[in-house]
Amino acid sequence: MKRSLIILIFLSSNIFSLLEIEIIKGSDNLSKVAFVPFGIEENVNENYGEQISTLIEKNMLLFGEFENLDKAEMLSFPDSEEDFYYRDWKIMGVDYSVIGKINSVNALGNLNISYSLFNINRRIKILEGEIVGRENNIEGIAKIISNRIYEKITGLKGIFDTKLAYIVNSDAETYQMCISDIDGKNEQILFTSAAPIMSPDWSPDRKKIAYVSFENGLAEIFIQDLASGERESIQALGMTNSAPVWSPDGKSLALVVSFSGNPDIFSYSINNKRLVRLTNHYGIDTEPSWSPDSKKIIFTSDRSGSPQLYEINTQSKRKKRLTRDGNYNARGRYFPDGKSIFFVHGNDGNFQIATKKLSSRFIETLTSTSLDESPTISPNGNIIIYATKDGSKGYLGGITLDGKSRFSLPVKNGSVREPAWSPLFN
Amino acid sequence: MNKILTSLNTFALILLFLSFVFSVFSITTLKVDETQSIKVNFYELIEIAEQPKRLSGTKPKESIQEADLNKVEENSEVKKSLDFEKYKLNKPDIKRELSKIKLSKEREVILKISAIIQDKISSVWIKPNSLSKVLAAKVLINLAPSGEVINFEMVEPSNDKVFDESVLIAINKISFFEEVLGLDRKLFESNFRNFKLVFKSSGEIE
Amino acid sequence: MEPIGIFILATICQFYSCAQNVSDSVERMQYASVAGEEYLEGEKIDTNLDDKVYFDFDKSTLDADDKNLLEQYLPAIRKAKIVRLEGHCDERGTREYNLALGERRALEVRDFLIIKGVSGKKIRVVSFGEERPIKNASNEKAWAENRRVEISLY
Repeated sequence: MKRSLIILIFLSSNIFSLLEIEIIKGSDNLSKVAFVPFGIEENVNENYGEQISTLIEKNMLLFGEFENLDKAEMLSFPDSEEDFYYRDWKIMGVDYSVIGKINSVNALGNLNISYSLFNINRRIKILEGEIVGRENNIEGIAKIISNRIYEKITGLKGIFDTKLAYIVNSDAETYQMCISDIDGKNEQILFTSAAPIMSPDWSPDRKKIAYVSFENGLAEIFIQDLASGERESIQALGMTNSAPVWSPDGKSLALVVSFSGNPDIFSYSINNKRLVRLTNHYGIDTEPSWSPDSKKIIFTSDRSGSPQLYEINTQSKRKKRLTRDGNYNARGRYFPDGKSIFFVHGNDGNFQIATKKLSSRFIETLTSTSLDESPTISPNGNIIIYATKDGSKGYLGGITLDGKSRFSLPVKNGSVREPAWSPLFN
Repeated sequence: MNKILTSLNTFALILLFLSFVFSVFSITTLKVDETQSIKVNFYELIEIAEQPKRLSGTKPKESIQEADLNKVEENSEVKKSLDFEKYKLNKPDIKRELSKIKLSKEREVILKISAIIQDKISSVWIKPNSLSKVLAAKVLINLAPSGEVINFEMVEPSNDKVFDESVLIAINKISFFEEVLGLDRKLFESNFRNFKLVFKSSGEIE
Repeated sequence: MEPIGIFILATICQFYSCAQNVSDSVERMQYASVAGEEYLEGEKIDTNLDDKVYFDFDKSTLDADDKNLLEQYLPAIRKAKIVRLEGHCDERGTREYNLALGERRALEVRDFLIIKGVSGKKIRVVSFGEERPIKNASNEKAWAENRRVEISLY
């Protein structure tokens, strides 16, 4: 990301007003966090202490948002506030320290864990908590603690218990719809087909996924229940049904129906199976997505001659063009705050992930590879995961929105594409 | 030869005029790059030297030409005479001009130190992702002449908890601004004894 | 000049009326044929013609060569029961947009055939977007081969 911020100093000639120095640029450094191995009481399995702090550490470092202090460099291993000395961490350049203790395990296998988070620079304890969880779900406990620490430090929702859906194409005849935890663990194959699968999208309650399958010879939308595995086809009339996206209330899908080969955006109410037309244009209208307040739908249209992003007010049906720079801006999605959008921006034959504030006309490109597509944003709005290619093999890449961290997800057996980040667990 | 020199002189004058115009535009907002801020002050100095010329219209130009015609042989001599001409013209204003030069030198120092302070803070401020929120927080810094931060206070918080906290963490990381050490006492008292840092979430142009 | 103008006008009118009549039935046919698709595969007619027409990036217009090829198909098409047109794109750009673009390409071929007098009722149109490339590589040559409409007769 190009960060050429203009920094200004205002010098006042007036004697009575103070010198003001403006700071816009932040450091390229990351906050450094020390994850101290948790202490244990006598009757607890001694491995648990280190296990849980390591799990928390792994979670927190998952997207490259923080730096850690190596255990070998720690000057002390406090497990309670009484043993905690700020200077031990300050001299190591640590910004936050996480300490904790496994207090007890009862006959049912329930662990009682307490933890604290310290802000070293401000010399204050900023978080203290206690959690009871099952011995065999130590990963789950670590995720909850990680979420709380993350929220305290960043002010953003913790996302360690979210999931990712994606399509794996291991050979020309095998397509799989998969979901896994956001750290790549617990992969599940929801559906396998010899025909292409496309466009997975999570229902807001995380219980269903809508996607497109070609199993019957042409694009058809299915809704699959994750618990039961049951699949239901949406028999919307038309030659092609595609690009299903759940409305924020989970009651409708925005989708594309192509009557007589003219794709337009429709809203499909799941309960009464009613289809409401939103766009009617001879050009291609596709890739709809709802604004977080459900009032608008962003979509791609080539009505201007090249694919560009538009938004339509679902009530008034008024349309507004959102992008003008470049001849390829497609598959737009809103940020969780609804004030910015992210999309695929084509420029000089490169297709990259870009963002744009709705209030501004400037497009900012985030990625630097050339075949980037299908961006999906973390529910807290801080990370984008997208599909890209290395040779002919697809893999998933990620980037934090401050541009400080770029990462790629573990490589799978086959080409991975179309990531879809699940909503938060309510 | 004469012709060349004359045209050279005219060219120099045009350059001087352009630099004057440029300096006028660059006074209000300055890019912080150290070298650039010095540059600006360089222009200011020129501006001051220029002023009488502007007041007296084309006269100096004529006199320069005359001087050229009279003393063709040595370039250095020409230059000397030019300087001499200027001082002659400036005589009634010389005190005022000197004080202005002093002022701009102070300004240069202030700019330089401000830029260093800015860099210093930027290098430790870990900016939170404030999504698209436009936030600003003002912090009043109170320094001792040694550069030690005696006190600081968030006088205008942004009211975004995480943003304000990030600002406080950054300031907590810095206990000294050595840069003000050795500064002229008056300059220190009037500029750096108390000053404000304005932290902004985004550098929107709109 | 005048006769030519009238001829063009007539062609356009003909095209429109055909397209109008045909569109509804095509949709119904499409659905009716979904289940029978695989059974149809078995009776594919071999024409000894190139079974693909190619397109430019983000375009769905047919050039003279494409039209020429399609004209050579006409006799075989008249004998065939079903004409299947499968639209494809290269990997560049977004998947859903490419799905629509592939459909656009196949429809461009269908419309040309209809103008040439082929009954729209025989024509099946399907798009796979960028999901089924011929060449799985990221270079101009592969992209050019992947931007295609495949014609098959049954």
